[in-house]
Amino acid sequence: MAKRRIGSLLIGLLAGLSTGVFLGWGPFPVEYRNSPLAALAPRYQEEYTLMVAEGYQYDRDIEAALERLRPLGKPNTIAYVTELTERYISQSNIPAIPIMVALVEALIGPDNLPAIMQLYRSTPTPSVPQG
Amino acid sequence: MTSSRHVRVNRGISWWALIIGLAVGLAAGLVYTWEIDPVIERNTAPWQLSAAAREDYVVAVALSYAQNQDILLAADRLRAVSPNRNIWEVVAEVACNRVKQGKTATNSDIRVIRALEQLYRPQGGSGCADGLYPTPEPVTIVPPVPTVTPSPTLTPPPSKTPTAPGPTPTSAVVIVPTSTPLAGSFVLARVQSFCDPDLAGVIEVRVYDARGLGVPGIPVTVTWSGNESDTFFTGLKPERETGYADFKMVAGRSYTVTIPGLASDAPTVEAVPCQADANGQTVETIMSYWVNFQARAN
Repeated sequence: MAKRRIGSLLIGLLAGLSTGVFLGWGPFPVEYRNSPLAALAPRYQEEYTLMVAEGYQYDRDIEAALERLRPLGKPNTIAYVTELTERYISQSNIPAIPIMVALVEALIGPDNLPAIMQLYRSTPTPSVPQG
Repeated sequence: MTSSRHVRVNRGISWWALIIGLAVGLAAGLVYTWEIDPVIERNTAPWQLSAAAREDYVVAVALSYAQNQDILLAADRLRAVSPNRNIWEVVAEVACNRVKQGKTATNSDIRVIRALEQLYRPQGGSGCADGLYPTPEPVTIVPPVPTVTPSPTLTPPPSKTPTAPGPTPTSAVVIVPTSTPLAGSFVLARVQSFCDPDLAGVIEVRVYDARGLGVPGIPVTVTWSGNESDTFFTGLKPERETGYADFKMVAGRSYTVTIPGLASDAPTVEAVPCQADANGQTVETIMSYWVNFQARAN
């Protein structure tokens, strides 16, 4: 009698566990509703970064821009912004390129701006007067 | 007889034990998959953000709008944050909360409040931050209202003198559209590419009414290779959005997206390769696109 109950219990446990794991990872996964910016899908993170870059053009406050980018949780925010800008250049995302280049320039300084970005600067480096 | 019945009962299963086992197993399985080892969080959309992160996102939208003055783009971005609410009220709430929390100490904070107010007030939003930090030079945002200008009447050139009449048509044929009440009533609000390894080569089409609510049942036609096309309808994936439809592209082809008879805009997108970041690794995938149409405001 006891063996029969234990056997049934084990069969039930196994079937229930399998069903629970299937449901919890399959059709009804946990749905996050309290996520940080760092958990955003990459395309939304990129859009957020672009918005921050546009915001920088509006207020010219690089500290505030950097502060707004921090919640993205990137190990190196400046490297992330630079890499994203280079990607936009490689993808010919024309409207976004000068905005992002301006942000990179403000973050790392005009002298450190990668050569590929020099072309897209909104304020070209003034040439040294000759003579 | 009695003996065989006893044997049959002993060999059967205990239904109570089975049900208890099932219940405990199911609960354990769900606890494990929801709490201990949940599905890895990826593809989080802005509406799933915490209140603080949503506020950061809305502030970024407002500052971006302050720079580019693109109200349709701002509305589109805000809808991603709050798909089921009046987006202008959401912006007003963010401004109000920031004032209440004392986030007005620096010039940067005040510029944020001004940017938020510039975004929501002309669109009818209102909140406790109204007018607290007036912009020195107020900018009135008037959405462009299309003006219908009559087309010039073409008069036949003098050289075109009437010639001998050809075969007289039996009756004048006037082609009247059967039903085009909405013709030209939508405009292209957004075309933007994105590179996502989980969504390779997808055109995500969204159609909104003038209030920013999704419109289901709108036919969307995608044309490629000159004469090949496919027509599908918005609203067939209500779990996404009511005005949503999507189309899978083949790499290397160009596609033109239209909502026939409702918008004159027909953007062309191309399924080009792109590189995306996935868990720290760069992966090659196909470019995807957001294509949004919005009804003109009356």
